[in-house]
Amino acid sequence: MSAKPQPGKDNFTRNLVIGVVLGVVLIMLVPTIISKQTKLAAKIPASVSAERGYGIVFNEELTGVPVIDIYEDFQCPSCARFEGTQGQYLDSIIEDKKATVVFHTLSFLGTESVLAANAAACSADQGKFLAFHKMLYQTQPQENSGAWTNEALVAAGESVGIKSKDYEECVTNGTYADWVGNVQASAAQSDVNSTPTVFINGKELDRNSYYDAAAFAAAVEQG
Amino acid sequence: MREFKLWFGLASRLTLGGVLLVAGFLKYDEVDKSQMAVRAYEMLPVSLANFIGIVLPFAEIGMGLLLILGAVTRITAALSALLMVVFVIGISQAWARGLSIDCGCFGGGGQVEPGTANYITPLLRDTGLLALGIYLFRYPQSKFSLDKSSQQNLEKGI
Repeated sequence: MSAKPQPGKDNFTRNLVIGVVLGVVLIMLVPTIISKQTKLAAKIPASVSAERGYGIVFNEELTGVPVIDIYEDFQCPSCARFEGTQGQYLDSIIEDKKATVVFHTLSFLGTESVLAANAAACSADQGKFLAFHKMLYQTQPQENSGAWTNEALVAAGESVGIKSKDYEECVTNGTYADWVGNVQASAAQSDVNSTPTVFINGKELDRNSYYDAAAFAAAVEQG
Repeated sequence: MREFKLWFGLASRLTLGGVLLVAGFLKYDEVDKSQMAVRAYEMLPVSLANFIGIVLPFAEIGMGLLLILGAVTRITAALSALLMVVFVIGISQAWARGLSIDCGCFGGGGQVEPGTANYITPLLRDTGLLALGIYLFRYPQSKFSLDKSSQQNLEKGI
């Protein structure tokens, strides 16, 4: 018992360490919680309806037709497969006004998903969402490989015929970045746990019909 | 034997704390995925699951750091053990109900293609970590710990 520890000093170091650890964790946690709140002041694209989970809506005005909600992330490979299988059919029912279709462009896979979703909203303002959407999936790079920069997304827009200066500014400035966050927050509230996820008239569609053109069309027609 | 226990305590702290720290670190800047992972267990109301999805990575980082440094070892060990019990329950019920989810333990998570879910590995890992947590709760004294009590207990021969 000769080497008595100095209780005061020991306690001080320990309490300081506890304080620092808890302080740092809280300082990191609070901004994260705040950033995940829905931002009511976010600038939203013209074809977006907050009531429909901030999705980009086609044929909003129709009544008595099926409502198809599609939750997707531009970086998700299964979403590219879904677009490859069902994209043309979706385009045709939008054109023939046979359904209301809502695209929820999620961003949980990372920064490049946020950039792509923002650019997609910019393309919607130019009336080119469907073409741009298809183009992104056809040229989908490896997840977060750095390929989807704002410059690349501007070029992708040009390749589907968008020539407007507004589009370029919208992409470069990340005009709809807050809206992208709102889409994600809304999907979280709707309990969407993977992409793609499809709801027809509010009912989640069985996953087996996602990559089967006939089964998907049948499900849409049944409503 | 006492000396061995102290070294084993240190090893337990570093293992349990290290796993928690890594798990938290891999998730804290991807909380969208973390929220998705918690929701996919289908145990909690959606809003609560989303809240836990944000808080959990930060809690893991905090608990991991405190365990590694050996500060408030006993309380942190108890909390970690409780957390592991919750994880074991969550994974077991997902397995029993036939959900197809990724455990989301180290990032990722959410639903996966039917038949590709792996529940055994995370269950074994969490059970092992639970044992370490219980051990540290019972014997919080260890080498290189900031806790004063462990020094005092050492001298008293506890």
